[in-house]
Amino acid sequence: MKIVGITACPTGIAHTYITKKKILEAAKACGYECRIETQGSIGAEDALTPEEIKAADVVLLAVDVKISGEERFKGKPIVKARTEDVMRNTDKFLQQIELKLRKAGKL
Amino acid sequence: MKLNITTIKKHVMTGISFMIPVVVASGLCQALGILIGGPGIKEASSGIIWMIYKIGNLGLSTLIVPVICAAISYSICDRPGIAPGLIVGLVCAEIKAGFLGGVVAAFLIGFVVNWMKQNLKLPETMKGMMPILIIPFFSTLICGLLMFTVVGAPITMFMNALTGFLENLSTGSKFVYGAVMGSISGFDFGGPVNKTMSLYSTAMMTEGIYGPKAAHFLAGMTSPFGILVAWCLSKAFKKPIFTNDEKESVKACLPMGVCMITESVIPFAMNDLWRVVLSSVVGSAVGGGLCLIWGVGVPVAHGGLFVVPTFVNPMGFVAALAISSLICGTMIFVLKKRLTEKQIEYGTNYTDAKSDEVAEVNIEF
Repeated sequence: MKIVGITACPTGIAHTYITKKKILEAAKACGYECRIETQGSIGAEDALTPEEIKAADVVLLAVDVKISGEERFKGKPIVKARTEDVMRNTDKFLQQIELKLRKAGKL
Repeated sequence: MKLNITTIKKHVMTGISFMIPVVVASGLCQALGILIGGPGIKEASSGIIWMIYKIGNLGLSTLIVPVICAAISYSICDRPGIAPGLIVGLVCAEIKAGFLGGVVAAFLIGFVVNWMKQNLKLPETMKGMMPILIIPFFSTLICGLLMFTVVGAPITMFMNALTGFLENLSTGSKFVYGAVMGSISGFDFGGPVNKTMSLYSTAMMTEGIYGPKAAHFLAGMTSPFGILVAWCLSKAFKKPIFTNDEKESVKACLPMGVCMITESVIPFAMNDLWRVVLSSVVGSAVGGGLCLIWGVGVPVAHGGLFVVPTFVNPMGFVAALAISSLICGTMIFVLKKRLTEKQIEYGTNYTDAKSDEVAEVNIEF
């Protein structure tokens, strides 16, 4: 499974980056490919390229605030969640996504 | 427009995340001006120190409410929300409806703009008129008038009642009130609960009531300092309570605490949620209560130890902070379990399995 995603939290200095780290670690452990863009208070970092988005199976938006550039993901399966939900048990959360995508025949 | 707890929270959080840099930048400028120039700088009208003070003062006194209003309406209805949000935010400031007014106005704007987007259909050739003329003009006009007339008045009354209530508290209830504010601020280390308190205390601060900000300020520094105290105690009494990973984070707690970045405690809370949260809440509650009894006032929004000289009763603040940090640190030290060598190396989850709870996954195809 190829994941692209965005993390963003209200203050934009801590949860944003912790969540990114958690997702990347969990993805590695589960054998998924993953690219995460952060939208902290400094603005967007590690921005996703259109190619990466096109190649992805699913978009994971772990965001507590409004993000910019959501229209880039039009037509993609999108998972929206709060950062705290994604942080808590990230590997299981990602596996759930895979399971649901398979059920829907999107993988 | 979908409105439920989750979306409302997201909109308000967007507002707060846009507001924070404005509050910090202008708050620090104002504090720096007062710090160098003394309280008399407010009466001056020239000189570089006065300019520094004035830069901050302008930001704090005029911009906060418009920015939060614009950011919330931006979150609700995208770009078209910004212009009416800024202008109607100024209306809220004018009628003294403050923050609460700004938040309510923003939802009003969001509703009006989204309605116009959906229901006003112009011929193709005139479509360009919508975003540059029709939406900004009518949404500003309608919402501005509504704030001036029906919607604004009750909010202003409520804000006045609230400030009156706070000014007339007795000593006992002051402690309870300060303790409540301290514990709310110390609850989630810069998360949404803490930010709610940030919003409230900043609102009170712009009304000239500095007590709530003192409790909030103190809580933001109590938890990082508390971790440091706990670390010192664990060294002194040879009770290992931090993993190797955590020891790395302890180093960050001193500079972070000094700068009032309470987020530095998150790594500790993630590993041992209830013990760290409970300690932070109890420490911050006591400190917040003491701040209010001792009449500590904080007229700046952020800035950590550097801006303490600008406070009302700065020594009282330092004493309250010392007490709250000691309580918080001692509690962490006592509550935390002694770690085995394996746990120190591999983390606290080495033996006790973490809960298998997973948040629900919703996929939009």
